[in-house]
Amino acid sequence: MLQFIIQGRGGQGAQLAGKLLADVFFQEGRYVLVYASYGGARRGNPVSSSLRVDDKPIRLRCDIEHPDAIVCFDPSLLEGGKLLNAATGQTLVLINSSLPAKEFAHLGDFKVVTIDARTIAQKHQLGRIVNTTLVGASLGLLGYSNVELLEKVVGETSPLKPEGNVAACMEGYRIARKGSC
Amino acid sequence: MSTEHTRLLLSGNHAVSYAVKLARPNVMPVYPITPQTPILEKITEFHAGGEMTGEIMTMESEHSVMAAAITASLTGVRVFTATASQGLLLMHEMLHYAAGARAPIVMANVNRTLGSPWGFWPDQTDSLAQRDVGWIQYYCENGQESHDTTLQAFRVAEQVLLPVMVVHEAFYVSHAMEAVDIVSQQQVDAYLPPFNPPHRLDPQIGESWGNTVSQTMFQNHRRDMGEAMERVLEVGKQADRELQELVGRGYGILEQYRCEGAEFIIATMGSMTGTVRDVVDELRAAGVSIGLLKIRLFRPFPVADLREALVGVPKVMVLDRNFAPGTGGVLFQELKAALYGLAGAPEIHGYLAGVGGTNISPSAIKEMVQCAMGENPSVNSVWKG
Repeated sequence: MLQFIIQGRGGQGAQLAGKLLADVFFQEGRYVLVYASYGGARRGNPVSSSLRVDDKPIRLRCDIEHPDAIVCFDPSLLEGGKLLNAATGQTLVLINSSLPAKEFAHLGDFKVVTIDARTIAQKHQLGRIVNTTLVGASLGLLGYSNVELLEKVVGETSPLKPEGNVAACMEGYRIARKGSC
Repeated sequence: MSTEHTRLLLSGNHAVSYAVKLARPNVMPVYPITPQTPILEKITEFHAGGEMTGEIMTMESEHSVMAAAITASLTGVRVFTATASQGLLLMHEMLHYAAGARAPIVMANVNRTLGSPWGFWPDQTDSLAQRDVGWIQYYCENGQESHDTTLQAFRVAEQVLLPVMVVHEAFYVSHAMEAVDIVSQQQVDAYLPPFNPPHRLDPQIGESWGNTVSQTMFQNHRRDMGEAMERVLEVGKQADRELQELVGRGYGILEQYRCEGAEFIIATMGSMTGTVRDVVDELRAAGVSIGLLKIRLFRPFPVADLREALVGVPKVMVLDRNFAPGTGGVLFQELKAALYGLAGAPEIHGYLAGVGGTNISPSAIKEMVQCAMGENPSVNSVWKG
């Protein structure tokens, strides 16, 4: 089973990122279960999405204990937050930040990777909507290979600016694949 | 019209909306409340897009929603609505009235904590607090079950003339997206004939409803309701079997998962049953003689089936994601009462687990199993998790 925790602040699209990842794996014929939880959907509040992907039906209805990947939309969520409580030495922690990964070494012994998703999103006229870039980067880091499907799903599910979202997603994906995060 | 099945990635809430569309209700009074709102949003979207006919009524409160649902239902048409938490409580007076009026309304309720303090978390106390209002209640484990149960609910409600509540929990089911096989319109039309009750409010017919009655008439009316509830045990099983014949999925009113020869059974309802399945598989693989008893139909409480399922089992552990101060977990209380006087009844351990939506992991459940195996049961519910 592949397990993701995605966290952002209300309005950043973390919930939609979970849904988008789920849709990609679902369309590949895998079993998925994704749910978001929030304490009242307010802009700025932490919003988490939990995604499980497996080759058999998923029955667990509880928090993810040992995620394979944590996607963090905003570094301010890391300080004093609970996001990294579930991380282990094996967990990939992808952070949206212009700073290099070594700046986050103090957080603990995780596989930290950063990507400047804000700059990529702005380049593609997406403003502060970084979710598609982070989805592309996380799949790239996990070695995902069905690029055509990823492009199709992002294009079909983007509520606005499908072309910009596809371009940002693929840029995130390529950077991650090249190991240049 | 096709019988080919369609598999969609849907939230539990939207799985309900799709079933409602297929059931072709005539009237849908609506009022929003988190975490139910996506059910009614999707229905209004279907309606606006011309995929659903029927009348949507936007009301000013949940109390008015239920009042509108009752009066619409009594004109002999199919009625659906949905609510959650505080909204369900505001309906309370009208819930009794709906059952007494024998209005076969189907309503989805999304379990959410009750204020005060304020929260949005999965907790079954809201609907369990309505256990005496005369509504049939189903508790669903996942979106697929909520989809299928909504269809069964219309069948059962209209056969016995009692309202049905289809219940699933906030977030773990309501907002959890997973693959859902949508029943085809052709299959639903065959399964759910148009509602055509023997009595209805119609100015052309001249019947009345809800007049002042004598004590004896009132008592007889309540007996009739009780008999209708009793019939649900059979009608519910039949509705489940017949849908299974059409779509290949059945649930029973109870489910015994790996209970063959089990010396320890975990009894619970709703989303936690999913997590318990994984625990049972893991412990069975380790040689522990353990099973799961899932209670799907909570009202009427299937006493005879429960006694049959649990007779001779040494220990039962009840997991209650609800809390009634002063008595404890509702399922624990009900199960103890159901097994009263049964020769060979199990010891019952009642654990409050997941109250307020706290996370219940497989390892937490395993610890509870270990605990229950090693101690004598307490007469009161015990806080866990």
